[in-house]
Amino acid sequence: MEGTRHQTESKSTFLMMKNTLLTALAIFVLGNLCRFGLPWWCLAPLALLVGWYFTRNAWAAFFGGFLGGFLLWYATAWLSDLSNGGMLSAKVGQLFMGVQGWQLLLVTGILGGLLTALGALTGRWAKEMLVAPSKKRNYLQEKRR
Amino acid sequence: MRTIKFILALSLTTLFVWQLAQPQQLGDKTIPPFGSFFNPFSGFWTNAEPAKGFDDVSRSLPGLKGKVEVVYDDLLVPHIFAENQEDAARVQGYVTAQHRLWQMDMTSRKASGRLSEVIGEKTLRLDRLARRKGMVYAAENDLIGWKKSPKTMALLQAYTDGVNAWVNQLSPAEWPIEFKLLNYAPEPWTPLKVALVSEAMAETLCTWEDDLESTNTLAALGRETFDYLYPEWNPKQHPIIPDTGQWADLHPLLPPPFFADSTRSLGFMETEAPEEKYLSDGPIVGSNNWALSGAKTKSGKPILCNDPHLNLTLPSIWFQVQIHTPEANTYGVSLPGVPGVLIGFNENIAWGLTNVSHDVSDWYKIHWANAERSKYSIDGEQKSVRFSYEKIGVKGQSDFMDTIRYTVFGPITYDFESENPLRDCALRWIAHDVPEQSTFDVFLGLNTGKNYEAYKNALPGFDSPAQNFVFASRTGDIAIQTQGKYPVRGDQQGRFVQEGDRWANAWHSYIPSNQVPSMKNPSRGYVFSANQHSTPPSYPYYYLGNFEDWRSRRIHDRLEAMTNATVDSMKSMQLDNFSQRAADALPTMLRLLDRTQLDAEGKQMAEELARWNFRYESELLAPTLFEAWFDSCYTATWDEITALEKRGQSTVPTDDLLASKNQKIALLYPDAWRFIEMMQTDSASVFFDHPATPFRETARDIVLESFKLTQAYFKEHPENRVAFGEHKGFVIKHLGQIDAFSRFGIKLGGHRTAPNAISKANGPSWRMIVELGDVVRALGVYPGGQSGNPGSRFYDNMVDTWANGNYYDLLFLKSSGDVSTRILGKQVFNPK
Repeated sequence: MEGTRHQTESKSTFLMMKNTLLTALAIFVLGNLCRFGLPWWCLAPLALLVGWYFTRNAWAAFFGGFLGGFLLWYATAWLSDLSNGGMLSAKVGQLFMGVQGWQLLLVTGILGGLLTALGALTGRWAKEMLVAPSKKRNYLQEKRR
Repeated sequence: MRTIKFILALSLTTLFVWQLAQPQQLGDKTIPPFGSFFNPFSGFWTNAEPAKGFDDVSRSLPGLKGKVEVVYDDLLVPHIFAENQEDAARVQGYVTAQHRLWQMDMTSRKASGRLSEVIGEKTLRLDRLARRKGMVYAAENDLIGWKKSPKTMALLQAYTDGVNAWVNQLSPAEWPIEFKLLNYAPEPWTPLKVALVSEAMAETLCTWEDDLESTNTLAALGRETFDYLYPEWNPKQHPIIPDTGQWADLHPLLPPPFFADSTRSLGFMETEAPEEKYLSDGPIVGSNNWALSGAKTKSGKPILCNDPHLNLTLPSIWFQVQIHTPEANTYGVSLPGVPGVLIGFNENIAWGLTNVSHDVSDWYKIHWANAERSKYSIDGEQKSVRFSYEKIGVKGQSDFMDTIRYTVFGPITYDFESENPLRDCALRWIAHDVPEQSTFDVFLGLNTGKNYEAYKNALPGFDSPAQNFVFASRTGDIAIQTQGKYPVRGDQQGRFVQEGDRWANAWHSYIPSNQVPSMKNPSRGYVFSANQHSTPPSYPYYYLGNFEDWRSRRIHDRLEAMTNATVDSMKSMQLDNFSQRAADALPTMLRLLDRTQLDAEGKQMAEELARWNFRYESELLAPTLFEAWFDSCYTATWDEITALEKRGQSTVPTDDLLASKNQKIALLYPDAWRFIEMMQTDSASVFFDHPATPFRETARDIVLESFKLTQAYFKEHPENRVAFGEHKGFVIKHLGQIDAFSRFGIKLGGHRTAPNAISKANGPSWRMIVELGDVVRALGVYPGGQSGNPGSRFYDNMVDTWANGNYYDLLFLKSSGDVSTRILGKQVFNPK
């Protein structure tokens, strides 16, 4: 019994990891649409759609959403910062109580991440509210039982 | 449950998005909405330009007649190669906007009283003042004058269209970072804004006046004392144009029959001094320029130099540009927002500017005929004011409505401040006038000029702000002209506030342009100006102004002694930290100082000062000590005036003084040169006496007393006993006062009384040296960078070069195909 349970658990962990990463990837890819002049807040509805279509549970939605948005904003900013040699981030950092360039990058990532995490979670829970929940038990339910 | 979870998530998301869309308060700073600001696709990160390389671009530009190539050098100077002047102007507008758009926006906003729209209530007073000084009125009148020349108006329009071609294709991601920080969008450029930028320059350069202070001081001290303390002519001065007999048969226009006595009848202009005025030592903004004839130079060719001193900002006030057209090949500095080159050179001539500093703004006391102040009396008749209703947008608030009254003299500026002593006065300012000709004809004439005749023909169209135009040509001519529009004044007219109830007091005529002081090829082999008096008193017109007393004497002495001048000797003059004021004052003060009254420490300080060579070098302590001693000595001497100002125990009993106790009144302090002269020749003057003490002090006592005070001060504050560079605390502030985009901590020598006139926030805003000849050799540097973007490597890259006293060889290209290792890349513009 223990073994089976362990297997089930690791399988569902794997599935959840996969789903989290898929969510992150979807947000990262779709989020690049923002390059074409979409306003920043479009990330939230975008993440909502991803949350609806791609996620299997709230955890995957939130963490996958966060990871996707974080990477999207962090990497984009990091590339700019890198080619700029950190000139501008050092100055803008001074505007924000003297934080360092890398801290600005982190703030950027976290803001992007939270935006998509919340968006994806909303999408997930919207689906759970409006559409009958999937028959598959998710990881949490497994554990509670 | 599911519904609750959903609502929870939705609310959280909405709240978070809403929060990110709000401007944030961080201490006393307002920070833009985080969402748009941090968004790496369009927020501040997109302003982080690559630190290397340059992307060549080719694009079409509507309105172009031919192809235009722009070659960028390693300082990001655009070298524009166009097939005609209109195309050149169009592309100049485009590239200037590309690098300096926010600065252009800010300058025009400040001049037109539209800062509050984007900043908020804290700039409301500034905005009201800008409008109440009639800045927009002046700019509109400029346009009327400029339209007299369809040719230059077409260039102006092309420049404007070029700016807008850049503005219109901008996506929010490409906005300069300041727009993102202040959270507002760029606007189209207009010809009116061009006029506003030039009026902003006029405001900086020709709004100086001491009318109120002089009026009060005359009322308080009486004529005799007033004339003793405030003589208008410094006999040690070397005027720009010396008297060589050229005015002997000049027939001057008669001054108006103004009522000189009307000034006295005004008495005190009560209530508070509007602004803090201190040690009167000549203008804070000033400049040097000079030209040497071939006889004075090693190469045998003329050399021309110019360093305009202005408030130093980032982005810098200047933008370098080369403009090559079939008509001319011109290089120099331009004002962002204004077409053409303002100070520069071409293959044949070079020219430079300094401020003439004449007083061309007068105050007239208006006599209201009714309580609503809609009518006023003049020559016994009643006239109606013209009302101008101004709507001032204020960020975060409803619009502010202001009413401005215009009289025949000009606008009533200060009637919105009931305590302001000038509240009933109308401002007559030369910059309000419709120009006789287009200012751009003048600069186009210089830009494309080939010889002295071109220079001489171009200048008379230039009205305001009056400038000393220095000139040199390849063929060996040098010249200078104090060009501007000046009212013909009666003796001392305009020195004091005048009665506005008599039309006779107004300006009625102007000095004819052929009588404006000028000089060509003097036998001494040089011409120069440093904002000093234009002429000696023998010039047949009365004028007054805020004239410089020190730099000009030093520059005169050096030029007089100079032979075989080279570019290097010119550098050493521009970088000269020698102060004539210190050289005049310090030996006198040391001579008056009774050293036997000093303790060992004091004697040491006196020796330190005695060893000083009068140079404000950054690493020296002596200039710090001297500054403190001189200021203290000056303050101790003029305690009578300070007491009067505070309406304390005054020695001058007048009824006027009692009129409003407890209020500070605006008074004039004597010029430093007069103060030093008094120490030298009249050390027993009553003004060295402290009225409050039973003793009769002389200059000796004051010098000793202030020395001891200075010594005690530095003992008490050893942290301030530092080398001069540190004492000065030089700073180049960002135009929007953003510290993160400013430059602090550069330790520099120089002083406003030395040719290298670097003060705390002012200084040589462009140092230029041009040696004419078959090949022009030109050097230049300004404390900034070509790009206005703090995220660009060209934002402040020239600051250190400037601070270290170095120059760049200006890359003066002959064609767009020239090969140079200094070329960075190319932009090509094609007709659409």
